[in-house]
Amino acid sequence: MTSAPSESREKEPRGHFSELLKVEAKLALREPVGLFTGIGVPTILLVVFGLLGIANPGNVPGTSYTVIELYVPVIMVIAFIFLGIYVLPIAMVKYREIGWLRRVSLTPVPPSRLLAAQLIINLVLALAAILIITFGSELVFGASLDVGIPYFVLSVVLSIAVIFSLGLLVAALIPSQSVASGASGGLIFLLFFLAGLWVPPATVGGPLATIMYYSPSGAAAQALLYSVFNSTPPYTAIVTMVVYTLVFAFLATRYFRWE
Amino acid sequence: MTSRFSVSDSSPGSHAGSEHVITVQHLVKRYGDFAAVNDVSFSIKQGEIFGIIGPNGAGKTTTVECISGLRTADSGSISIYGLSPHKDRNKVREFLGVQLQESSMPPRLKVSEAVELFASFYPDPVDPDGLLETLGINDVKNSIYKKLSGGQRQRLSIALALVGNPRIAILDELTTGLDPEARRETWSLIESIRDRGVTVILVTHFMDEAERLCDRLALINHGKLAVLDTPEAIAALAGGSRVRFVPSKPVDDKTLYAIPGVKEVERKEAYVTVTGTGDLASSVINSLARIGVRMSDIEARGGNLDDAFVKLTRDDASGASGGVQT
Repeated sequence: MTSAPSESREKEPRGHFSELLKVEAKLALREPVGLFTGIGVPTILLVVFGLLGIANPGNVPGTSYTVIELYVPVIMVIAFIFLGIYVLPIAMVKYREIGWLRRVSLTPVPPSRLLAAQLIINLVLALAAILIITFGSELVFGASLDVGIPYFVLSVVLSIAVIFSLGLLVAALIPSQSVASGASGGLIFLLFFLAGLWVPPATVGGPLATIMYYSPSGAAAQALLYSVFNSTPPYTAIVTMVVYTLVFAFLATRYFRWE
Repeated sequence: MTSRFSVSDSSPGSHAGSEHVITVQHLVKRYGDFAAVNDVSFSIKQGEIFGIIGPNGAGKTTTVECISGLRTADSGSISIYGLSPHKDRNKVREFLGVQLQESSMPPRLKVSEAVELFASFYPDPVDPDGLLETLGINDVKNSIYKKLSGGQRQRLSIALALVGNPRIAILDELTTGLDPEARRETWSLIESIRDRGVTVILVTHFMDEAERLCDRLALINHGKLAVLDTPEAIAALAGGSRVRFVPSKPVDDKTLYAIPGVKEVERKEAYVTVTGTGDLASSVINSLARIGVRMSDIEARGGNLDDAFVKLTRDDASGASGGVQT
């Protein structure tokens, strides 16, 4: 018992990350706010816009897309926003506020692993949302998408990167759960608007459309719209997302506190 | 009392018992202009229960937070088995178990999940089921955290501190908020931890707890180490033990002051009260018996840590301007 602690040092704790991921996944199922906002709400929106499309057949004026086709990328971005700006930051702020991050930081496992587990779970939910929205819009509501896989993968990766990095910045800057719900609530609606939930930028035009295209969620929706119809996303959308991601990620790593 | 030293006594061949596992030298930690810990030094021996006591805000928690590596000292040094809690934090964390004050867990995390998760974090953990059994929370292992009572949460917190099979356990305000029965059970638990060879650092503001459990106590006041000694020795600082009795015939002060250990004599009606150090009661009884004085209505009280605590912290606060008695 009293031998030098160095003896046990060679054994690395194995499987701690899979154990952490398992526990986080169970918690995500027990408190299914991620399932509800990240998959449930987008599914409801898919049904709403699908039925609107059936009631108003033909292309939306000023565009070459039907209602559901125009809204497929917007609903995807909304799923990413719920998961990235609401579920992820609130979980991290909660873990920090109750002292869980601090508690984990006293073990040999760094608390960043908790963040990694949270990211993975929300990414899995985002991918599930993508599949539901893509296949649901095509099979149930008759959208005729032509997904160009390389562009689509690029657009999805950048959309998630920009939105999740903004979510991490929110988690870094917001001190408590009560503030987090309010602040991310406001930000979510702003991002919904910029993504085109109420008025698609294609139908607005003018300076407002420009603002939307150069916003994180608007650029994401635009890139996704192009890539689900097998076109090259505008490079402005790609550059916009890359720049925002770098800025958000830099600020988040700079200001994130574990306790 | 004898079992308290069983770990070191039962291993005479090893150097346990005298080896310092933690050495804190000239520790200083400031928050802005305020020095929460100001030049504190002490050493902790292998296998002892080392208590840190002091008023609220005295710097107790900051001191153990520096030891556990949660905070970085502004100056001074801390050595744990020769390692620095800051520079060698990853190595130190493998054998240091910490129970934090005011730390909570995810509300829907189950007891068994929490303990198994933490077991996976360590290279050589103890069996989680056995630990829950020892701590008396095996019957709630499928309950989620938010359904647990205060005592059960506290035990789970202790379980997480111990599941990594630590050599050193830091327990901060462990029994705050527990009912008397749960407190007593927790005390037995701490003794059993120490009996397994674990060195325990116990932060507390309960004097009965410190007196009952700790081999040595560091009293920290205003960020400084006020005194470091055994609970008995610190209790004696408050004037020591006290014996009150009614003598069978009058005894003058001179005779009483001549008795070994007697420091002070007070009289009230028929009662004589002597205060002093050492084994006061038997010393007084024997000396008076020799001159044919019998004692009745005897009331003896040992040194009281509470009194010592108040005296030591108050003296410090009111300076040397003489005690104000009210």
